[in-house]
Amino acid sequence: MATHTEASRSPHMPNHLETATFEGRNKVLGFWLFLGAETVLFACLFGTYLALRHQTMGGPSGHELFDLKLVGLATAFLLTSSLTSVLAILAMNQLKKKVMMFWLAVTVLLGLAFLILEINEFIHYVHEGHTFTSSAFGSSFYALVGTHGAHVTFGIIWISTLMLQAAGRGITEEMAPKLFVASLYWHFIDVVWVFIFTLVYLLGKVG
Amino acid sequence: MGTLIVLIVFALFLTAILTGGYNKTFLERVKNSKVWDWLTTVDHKKIGILYFLSGFFFFLVGGIEALFMRLQLVVPHNDLFVGDTFNELLTMHGTTMIFMAAMPMIFGLMNAVVPLQIGARDVAFPFVNALGFWLFFAGGLLMNLSWIFGGAPDAGWTSYTSLALNNYSPGPGVDFYVLGLQIAGIGTLIGGLNFMATIINLRAPGMTFLRMPMFTWTSFVTSTIILFAFPPLTVALLLLMFDRLFGSHFFDYTMGGSAVIWEHLFWIFGHPEVYIVILPAFGVMSEVISTFSRKRLFGYTSMVFATVLIAFLSFMVWVHHMFTVGLGPVSNSIFAVATMAIAVPTGIKVFNWLFTMWGGEIRFTTAMLFAIGFIPTFVMGGMTGVMLAAPPADFQYQDSYFVVAHFHYVLVGGTVMGLFAGAYYWWPKMFGKMLNETIGKIHFWTFLIGFHLTFFPQHFLGLFGMPRRVFTYQPGMGLDSLNLISTIGVVGMAIGTIAFLYNIYWSFKKAAPAPADPWDGRTLEWAISSPPPVYNFAQLPLVRGYDAWWMEKQAGNKSLPPAEPLGSIHMPSSSFIPILMALGFFIAGFGFIFRGDFVGAIIGLVLVIVCLFLRSFDRDHGYHIEPDEIEETNKGVQA
Amino acid sequence: MTENQHSDNHAVSPKPESAVKHLISFLIMIILTAAAFYVVIKSGSVVAEHLILPLILVFAVIQVFLQLFTFMHLGQKGSAYYAIFIMLGIVIAVISAVGIILM
Repeated sequence: MATHTEASRSPHMPNHLETATFEGRNKVLGFWLFLGAETVLFACLFGTYLALRHQTMGGPSGHELFDLKLVGLATAFLLTSSLTSVLAILAMNQLKKKVMMFWLAVTVLLGLAFLILEINEFIHYVHEGHTFTSSAFGSSFYALVGTHGAHVTFGIIWISTLMLQAAGRGITEEMAPKLFVASLYWHFIDVVWVFIFTLVYLLGKVG
Repeated sequence: MGTLIVLIVFALFLTAILTGGYNKTFLERVKNSKVWDWLTTVDHKKIGILYFLSGFFFFLVGGIEALFMRLQLVVPHNDLFVGDTFNELLTMHGTTMIFMAAMPMIFGLMNAVVPLQIGARDVAFPFVNALGFWLFFAGGLLMNLSWIFGGAPDAGWTSYTSLALNNYSPGPGVDFYVLGLQIAGIGTLIGGLNFMATIINLRAPGMTFLRMPMFTWTSFVTSTIILFAFPPLTVALLLLMFDRLFGSHFFDYTMGGSAVIWEHLFWIFGHPEVYIVILPAFGVMSEVISTFSRKRLFGYTSMVFATVLIAFLSFMVWVHHMFTVGLGPVSNSIFAVATMAIAVPTGIKVFNWLFTMWGGEIRFTTAMLFAIGFIPTFVMGGMTGVMLAAPPADFQYQDSYFVVAHFHYVLVGGTVMGLFAGAYYWWPKMFGKMLNETIGKIHFWTFLIGFHLTFFPQHFLGLFGMPRRVFTYQPGMGLDSLNLISTIGVVGMAIGTIAFLYNIYWSFKKAAPAPADPWDGRTLEWAISSPPPVYNFAQLPLVRGYDAWWMEKQAGNKSLPPAEPLGSIHMPSSSFIPILMALGFFIAGFGFIFRGDFVGAIIGLVLVIVCLFLRSFDRDHGYHIEPDEIEETNKGVQA
Repeated sequence: MTENQHSDNHAVSPKPESAVKHLISFLIMIILTAAAFYVVIKSGSVVAEHLILPLILVFAVIQVFLQLFTFMHLGQKGSAYYAIFIMLGIVIAVISAVGIILM
């Protein structure tokens, strides 16, 4: 049984703390499997959106609604947060707790900035008459982008919680897989966003 | 909502009184009670039993619904269960049997057997495993409570839109379907994930992938299908919930929606689902036939290959449920060819079973009888499946009793027979008691004959034009006598099931303790006591080949070679969080169904989130069983 | 629970992973994103309109692989199972999405 000691005390530090224990290896594997399931889930939402995106029922179309400047800014926030979360994991594996906490905090802040932009965008759309109930286009748009937004929200809460735990417990063999898995989740959210800005916003502009 | 809270408080009050009045030791007494132990267990063997027995309970419920339907159809113009009631019966029968009976019973066997077969002490995520069970149970309960709270769902187990939308299905019925399945579905998904991780990471030393028993292989592949097939169902149910509760228009064609998207999402899930329920049955058959023929499974590698191929193809054939939608000849042809291709790996399997028996030293135990009965029955279902796969012919069969006959031949003739075979085979390992072979044989013969009597005539009913899901028919159209025979057949199936129930009673009351290896088995689970100790293997075994236990017995060994010295064993602690979390989902489900201001939904979801935090901050790392304790409990039992 | 599972991804020398390759792949992602936006904003004048969708999809797919193989550490020793199942997920996801859109 692998003991959960403070990692700095073990003489032979592994390169990847997240898979140093048996539980850690299980957790990382399980989470990759979960991401496989999430991939299919988002694919179904994408399929639904792309099948229904022209059904505006007289309401504003994507071409009229989408503001690429805002979307570009949101994309920049999320892409950068993906980088900062991987920097946090690198710091974790070097046992630099302060550096890790800094990058995690930046990740959370960037995530929050993204979320604020998205909420503002939704409020704007509602004023334009593009709502969840206005048409099949509206429903499928909010279902897809909203599900992604919900994932971002969950990710922010999750990473904040882990920061709270890491602050008290330090970087242990027990904390490492938790942090690593949360960062995997964050990257996955970013991957989904890449497809959202490509297939929802950019494609909406193209027509 | 209020009623529910009152009921819960009342139940707590009652428990306190029945267990000796409320006082300070009440909590302690609860914690030491057997019930608490079962409610909070994370032991895969106990969870397996919970899965199997609750699945069997829902099997009885679904069976009674089927019985009612056949009673309605016994004569033309019958008026026992008409209209909406009949629709509710057929919807609940289908949904219950697939999601609440077949899958949990499969998970029951998987939980009870897979960790033992790979030589593991536990599953990868014991907590998730328990959560999966309680979520399934909460979902199943929620859906079946619809009978009391405002009417059961009545849009068929496929719940096609637009029929399932508010306009055509007012009332809470379909909401129960949506929420109940959603909750049970999440449970199934994480259960499947747990088994994938278990089989990948927890195999004993020497247990390579190509030494794994066939049941473990099919469980692994089934879990993979679950992982990728349930998300589409999650999305479908979510969108339907939005349409029904929050006024969106995914499936509402008047607002630009598309009913075909529901069909796509449902069948992208729905077709893999039929392989989810049949592949484990294939695995059971492989184990049973090999054991009772005293032969190595014929063509093991091709069996594995066929299983993986079936799983892969299962994701590319969903449109064969939608041939009559009108997606065009190209689409129909592609999916027809893909569908027929599945017959090839399935055929490989059937021949492998036959060749395993050929020249074997066959023992006709009940489990083996079910396996032998399974082969021709399933082949008939497979044949009609290939018939249905041809689009021009399908236009004729579509929505007739021919389809009903087809899928009952594969689901009952395949899955249910497989589950019964598995039950008789592994019962001693699960419960430490044997089932009675004589009663078992009565069970088998009445069930098999009753089954064929019920469903064989339905092929012809379909060909004569009787539509499915319709509650009556006209006299004098050549449907009367076949329907009568079909209903008579149900009596046989009912007697068989009652015999099984009595057999369970018999095994608990009268059976002697089961030996460790009652069937002269071949795989690892038979090397340890029945039921196994809580840690399964005192020392993890070293696996030296396929059919590891059989190999050791042939070499004259009385126990498995250990792969590690006797040492302290780490075990996970019990947890009440899974059941509490499932309760949260259950309350949330009710809250959504009762609509209004969704107070219940918010309360339930808050409870779920609280549980998530509890779990995240929980630092309980379990406990250890020391070697001297192992020696104590292990007297006379080989590792 | 068991120690028999050999941790196969432990390097012998604990040399910390460098951030350079992550920074490079981040730069590539930013460039790809900017390129995709640029192509769409200058619709028709840079790339022919019917080529825009395939092009920005290719950009997106490259980004996915960069994320998977650098940021998410896929492809390093011991991650074969992750790769197999995430790829399987992607294949099924694509089939499902394309099925819903086209069929």
